[in-house]
Amino acid sequence: MAAQSDYKKSLEYYKHLSLFWTDIVYLMSSKPSALTSAGPMRKFAMQAKKLATEMIEANEDLTEFNTRLAEYYKQLSDTWIEAQKRVNKKIPEIPQDMEHLEASKRVWIDMFENDFTQLFDSEKFGENFGKLISSELELSKHWNKMLSVLLETANIPTKNDIDEIYKELHSLRKRMSKLEKNGHQTKVKNNGK
Amino acid sequence: MENELKIDPKLVAEFFKFNKNMIEAPKMVPVPDEINLEMTPYDVAYSEDKIRLLHFNSPTQKQHQTPLVIVYALVNRYHILDIQPHKSWVRNLLNQGYDVYMVDWGTPSNIDKYLGFDDYVNGYIDNCVDFVCNEASVSKISMQGYCTGGTLATVYAALHPNKIKNLVATAPVIDGKRDTTVVGNLAKHMDVDNMVETIGNMPPEFMYYVFSVLKPFEQGIEKYINFFRNIDDKNYVDSFLRVEKWLNDTPPIPGELFRQWIKDIYQDSLLIQNKMYVGGKLVSLKNITMPIFTQVAVGDHLVSPECSMPLHYAVGSEDKTLRIYPTGHVGMIASSFSQKNVLPELGEWLKERSNK
Repeated sequence: MAAQSDYKKSLEYYKHLSLFWTDIVYLMSSKPSALTSAGPMRKFAMQAKKLATEMIEANEDLTEFNTRLAEYYKQLSDTWIEAQKRVNKKIPEIPQDMEHLEASKRVWIDMFENDFTQLFDSEKFGENFGKLISSELELSKHWNKMLSVLLETANIPTKNDIDEIYKELHSLRKRMSKLEKNGHQTKVKNNGK
Repeated sequence: MENELKIDPKLVAEFFKFNKNMIEAPKMVPVPDEINLEMTPYDVAYSEDKIRLLHFNSPTQKQHQTPLVIVYALVNRYHILDIQPHKSWVRNLLNQGYDVYMVDWGTPSNIDKYLGFDDYVNGYIDNCVDFVCNEASVSKISMQGYCTGGTLATVYAALHPNKIKNLVATAPVIDGKRDTTVVGNLAKHMDVDNMVETIGNMPPEFMYYVFSVLKPFEQGIEKYINFFRNIDDKNYVDSFLRVEKWLNDTPPIPGELFRQWIKDIYQDSLLIQNKMYVGGKLVSLKNITMPIFTQVAVGDHLVSPECSMPLHYAVGSEDKTLRIYPTGHVGMIASSFSQKNVLPELGEWLKERSNK
């Protein structure tokens, strides 16, 4: 626990240090770089702090991801060891000849299958797996945000811009489908008259 | 000096034979990618966006009055219902005189991430049903839904009961909270909002991970050992490769649909409590008053019987049948067992209710 708290403290320190210098460099250079306001460097300079913040925060989430990943492999490895112990106890009871090869294989498969299914069905596995995926998603979000900063500097649509278009298209498709359906129903009604 | 290591010579021979089979396998079996999974001929009767309604060509003259529309699952593709001539669900029903249609969901892309239950049920499925009713000059059809398709078919039947004559729910996902499978456990711990917002559609790779933890040793190791041991058996190899190819081809699931699926069905069990909303309308299973046949497999490791069976007890139908088969999720629809037991029973059940 103490090691984790020290790690957090030092992370906070480096975060502060990094953002301080990013801001100072930006304040020192923003006026001269304003001369090139039509080019990408001006935009990039304005957004550079965002990149730095994302990278630092991604580092925090990377720690969480590593913790969850280590726990994931620990659970797998513990289960493997226990299953192997049970198999080792059972196997010497089975004669090691061709006739009993299938039986030995069955014991191995069944014991491992049983132990691993119990693990995958357990609350502790489900919870850690859910958090592992969530931490991966947090990393993806930082990556997306950093990419968006770069795309914005080059006037290229970002994920959010494209999502807006997809949403609009979805709504249009839905409206068109309803209109077509209503038109068809009216036609059927009129033909029936 | 006596040799203390006593190994059965037959074991050594088996080991060498296995190695020989592995070396010779590429010369003996086709490349999986080149295997064509299309079996029974069909016409594309209707299409909209990426979905297609397949109409299978019937080999028989005799047709029951009510057409059957199969709503396939959202995971993997429809080929499993027509995987081999002697194990084909579709072909068996055609031979029993049914006019069979099936919905193929196609491959959703990023542009489809906002498609939800409403689009699938009140849009695509409803349009397919209207098309079939129009083409067959009937006012109602029989509908069968398999797995997640069973859930879509159930929701459709609850919202449009006037268009469904008979409902067949095969391993439907109904009460996720009661599901005892690994899928249920993973779904309950998923931050689905975060997932959909960040990555959009549910990627196939995530499904493959879920499949890989279902029966990791039987499906991940033993299955392949058996494949190489049986490399001389043409029927075994053909069946193995076809199912393998099918298993490894699953389309993404549209983000919004996946979100509602996980939250309403697995995490909050809203469907079974008659509290789920689709397209602004409350889905009440009590509205399902048509004859219903629920098929469940006792060894189902994807949708446990505890998850499917509540449908039988929740519907408003008086004419309802529940069958529990001693097989698995895929065994119920694509096996010799299903040809001998499940399909004849389904055919009889539908026959009594298709010509009235």
